[in-house]
Amino acid sequence: MNATAINPDPTSGQDVREHTLAITGWGVVTSLAIGADEFTTAIGEGRSGLRDVTGMFDEDLPEDQAFAMPDFSVRDHLGRKGTSFFDRSTSLGLLGCTLALDDTDLTVTDDNRDRFGIVLGTTAGSIKATSDYSRETLEGDRPFLVNPVLFPNTVMNCAAGQSAIWLGLKGVNATVAGGRLAGLSALRYARNQIRRGYADALLVGSVEEFSPHTAWFSHRQHAAEEGRVKVGEGSAVFVVENAEAVRAQGRTPDAEILAVEVGTYGAPGREPDAGAGLADCVGRALRRAGVEPSQVRAVATGESGIARLDDIERRGIEAALGAGVWRVRAKEWVGECQSASGSLQLAALLAGHRGHPELDGAVSVVTSVSPDGGVGAAVLRGWHRARGDHRS
Amino acid sequence: MSEAREKHLDELREIVAEVLEVEPEEITETGSFVEEHEADSLRAIEILARIEKKYKIDIPQSELPRMENLKAVHDVVATQAGWQD
Amino acid sequence: MNRRVVITGLGPVSSIGTGVTAFGRALRAGTSGISAISSFDSSGFPHYMAGEVPDFDPKALLRTLSTAEWGRTSLFAAAAARLAVEDAGIDEKVLAGAAAGSSIGTTSGESQVIEALTAEWVHSGLAEVTPAYAAQVPASRLAAAVNQELRLTGEAVTLSTACSASNYALGYAYDQIVTGDADYMIAGGADSVCRWAHAGFYRLGALTEKVCSPFDKDRSGILTGEGGAALFLETLESATERGAHIYAEVLGYGLNCDANHMVAPDPVSIAACMRRAHHNAGITPADVDYICAHGTGTPANDAMEAQAVVEVFGTRPPPISSIKSMLGHTMGAASGFGAIAAALALDEGFLPPTTNYRTPDPELPAIDPVPNESRPAQPRVVQNNGFAFGGNNAITILGRVA
Repeated sequence: MNATAINPDPTSGQDVREHTLAITGWGVVTSLAIGADEFTTAIGEGRSGLRDVTGMFDEDLPEDQAFAMPDFSVRDHLGRKGTSFFDRSTSLGLLGCTLALDDTDLTVTDDNRDRFGIVLGTTAGSIKATSDYSRETLEGDRPFLVNPVLFPNTVMNCAAGQSAIWLGLKGVNATVAGGRLAGLSALRYARNQIRRGYADALLVGSVEEFSPHTAWFSHRQHAAEEGRVKVGEGSAVFVVENAEAVRAQGRTPDAEILAVEVGTYGAPGREPDAGAGLADCVGRALRRAGVEPSQVRAVATGESGIARLDDIERRGIEAALGAGVWRVRAKEWVGECQSASGSLQLAALLAGHRGHPELDGAVSVVTSVSPDGGVGAAVLRGWHRARGDHRS
Repeated sequence: MSEAREKHLDELREIVAEVLEVEPEEITETGSFVEEHEADSLRAIEILARIEKKYKIDIPQSELPRMENLKAVHDVVATQAGWQD
Repeated sequence: MNRRVVITGLGPVSSIGTGVTAFGRALRAGTSGISAISSFDSSGFPHYMAGEVPDFDPKALLRTLSTAEWGRTSLFAAAAARLAVEDAGIDEKVLAGAAAGSSIGTTSGESQVIEALTAEWVHSGLAEVTPAYAAQVPASRLAAAVNQELRLTGEAVTLSTACSASNYALGYAYDQIVTGDADYMIAGGADSVCRWAHAGFYRLGALTEKVCSPFDKDRSGILTGEGGAALFLETLESATERGAHIYAEVLGYGLNCDANHMVAPDPVSIAACMRRAHHNAGITPADVDYICAHGTGTPANDAMEAQAVVEVFGTRPPPISSIKSMLGHTMGAASGFGAIAAALALDEGFLPPTTNYRTPDPELPAIDPVPNESRPAQPRVVQNNGFAFGGNNAITILGRVA
């Protein structure tokens, strides 16, 4: 079956600009760097976030190194009060949100908080917090002696819900369990909320934590893939607004998200071919964005050294954009951060624009591929700003 | 004040302080958890749960409204645990 | 593009019945789906009842998926979707070639898979966990399972906004069709009964012993439940063209966030969510003929919900009943079952009851909980409430096609 024939272009004849999103600030939390400017510097210098993680947990880890933050404590950034019982995903997500707000010229006020929300992507919330909670019920003869205050950490929307409380954001609050597609799925969810007029501004991003659980789960599945990127953790969060409104206010965004397209095809090795599906997604996204393949300067891919997934991504990109397009492999700097990956790939592209006016208006693409047949692509156009802009 | 009472109060103070995210010395015997330390129902149940686990006792949730400060917590626990403080 | 969106297929996989006929019959009869827990060893727990689906047989319901590759919750989602498509009577090949996708809500995703992995961790260590289980952890697999089962090539999105997630999913699916991004969508939710939620709700003092009695004076909490709920959505034009049976139209929805407390609901914020839903659906409170309640049966939720309803609707609100009295709290599937119940109420002309209702609660504002027996009625517009941990409020509005 020809994948291109499956989905007609739904935007034909419409003004694509009304659907675009502006990013007016962003924040990242990674082992490489914390904060947009710091991340920009670290990427520019080509540093790696790989760290020694031995002794980070009581449990043994499958590998001594990971793209993780052994010394990270949310208390160092946000204080003790209110943070003691946060799971790691919540801490990373909330810190990403606060950093994104620090980086934008938009402020939260009583006038806008009802229409200012949060959309965060995840794999399955804090898997460690959930599994720890489950473990408590398996030990001792009174299985119900669990900690009430930790119960909210077992729901996947904990990071988004706690962030809303911390920041006082009463608009739509959503959690998208997208796995490897989470970054793109969160952007798509946000785009829908804004174009339908349900929200004016959203903190949009995705989160993944490093734990013995995530490390072993990954190791048990992929240990045979020798060249694979080691696992990591982090978050990237973007302040997203209606691009037209931002332009009307005379503000220059960091980027415009021109299109986000996703699709579902066969798992690796099954029909319909996900490589052709990704090519179709990229092509559809470019058409929605009103951009020619030849205008694409770079693609930030989710490639991570797992051959069956990388193969899908490479074939999809080559079919849509040609073999010569520059592939930015963000995971070499930040690790395999699963649900945070798509957002970190986008952050890596934005880092390329910060402080570089010569790249203003350049178009780039983010791609993601999941082991369950999901594929996706976002098209964006970036602008520079001086470092430190908007910082108070 | 008996030594046992003092010891129990210190242990309870430790639990309450950790749940309410303050230093133990900030928890006075009669200071209201809600008004002075922003306690809510979830934290109140957490305090109760930790006490039950530590002393291996059962405290009915109907006692929660009473457990509004350290002294009241001690009184409730003393009754349930049979302390002669 | 502003297309009207209708519901033409319903797929319940529930403790009170699987398939629209059985589910509808049970809903009218006020059947209880509560039984002694069998999906985990409940010894040691003072309470041991839940709304399980013990006769769930994914092999009998699914045609494409290899059931061994998927967790219980994904199978619930896929089976519900399969039933919804069969009920809609649409050609599978048409769907597979169309712009069609799914949005599925959940609270705990593949909770039983995570519990199996945790048990392996306790017994033999993380280094020995089963790789196939590890691969099933991502909750994204719920929607992926739906798309793979039905060979849908469009978006598959899992929304994990806890106990209002199905309403998020229904709202998103509705928007996809309104805007023309999709022509057909499966919306709904799925969750599985699990040990940690049973323990957590018990410890919060929010788990009742044997009977869930929402809005009753002596209500004492929830019972956890499970299942899969799916609704098949298409445009009014397409449904009319193919002569499909139309259960209801999706008129709109509203979302907001308490931003106040992770577990304690906020009636002011919930009232604001109702108003937002009405606004988006282009209706006023006076148009609403029935409210399918969130109605968990905890003292706090039901008091707050009744208070918010009176705040928005005045002192004579429309009848409001809770199907959780029969199903227990099916978590991320709950507002999906609520939407199915709402669609059936509109289509068949009845109001589902709040069962186990004995004594009016003098502390609540005066409401009509449709006590114990379903009631013949001809509702034209129904409001379906969903609230959640994290203050994630989501309300959908369904109506009879006018």
